[in-house]
Amino acid sequence: MRAPAHRNVDAVFDALADPTRRRVVETLARGGTVTASGLAGELPITRQAVSKHLNALRGAELVTSSRIGRETHYKLRLDPLDEAAHWIQMVSAEWDDRLEALRRSLERRTRRV
Amino acid sequence: MRLHNESTPYVERETLVEATPEEVWEALTDEDRLEEWMAPEVELDPTEGGEISVRDGEEERSGTVETVEEAERLSFTWSRPGQGESFVEFTLEPLPAGTRVRVVEVPTDPAATNTAPGSTAIAAGGWDRPLLRLGRVLRLTPVA
Repeated sequence: MRAPAHRNVDAVFDALADPTRRRVVETLARGGTVTASGLAGELPITRQAVSKHLNALRGAELVTSSRIGRETHYKLRLDPLDEAAHWIQMVSAEWDDRLEALRRSLERRTRRV
Repeated sequence: MRLHNESTPYVERETLVEATPEEVWEALTDEDRLEEWMAPEVELDPTEGGEISVRDGEEERSGTVETVEEAERLSFTWSRPGQGESFVEFTLEPLPAGTRVRVVEVPTDPAATNTAPGSTAIAAGGWDRPLLRLGRVLRLTPVA
């Protein structure tokens, strides 16, 4: 379970490091399935810029696309975001455990001396 | 030292210990001491460019030491075999009652990571909060 999740997290972080792409994701989250033109109407960026960001998000498997008639419709995938949040929670918990073990180890030693 | 911009995701945890920075430093850099708290098997060459290897049962991480500033700062990269690399940094801050131990772990991102010698800045203002906020937005919003 852990291995593929961690690998994918890098791609998700790369894709979401861009604030405009985060806005695209938030807009997609509100609107369900939308087109590039629809997104451009809701965001202060051009349709070309929207398409570029959608491609980057698709590369990270954060969105899927399907052709309906002449237009491409985009939809958010939730799994990779869950994986990214999972990575943060997992690494936080690991360090909490290690730091607690470090604290105990040091206090045992300090009392002994 | 790596410089991270504000959009870089990171995990930051800290603890207060009743020990001097020198005592904490020994626990961070001596292999026998590391095996008391970090993992059952730890190999560390605490010099810049030295190797670190941490094994806990099936789980294995290895990497390279980046910064060694005695009793102040230790940083290294590590990764599991074939997986994404993280940058880890410990900083020690002396306090009247002991030492504050802070650890940061950041996935290494070639696009967002610069080598900036002499810089000690890891920008505050986390990326995990926007991410988790986003996660909540997504869960609250039914996606058709």
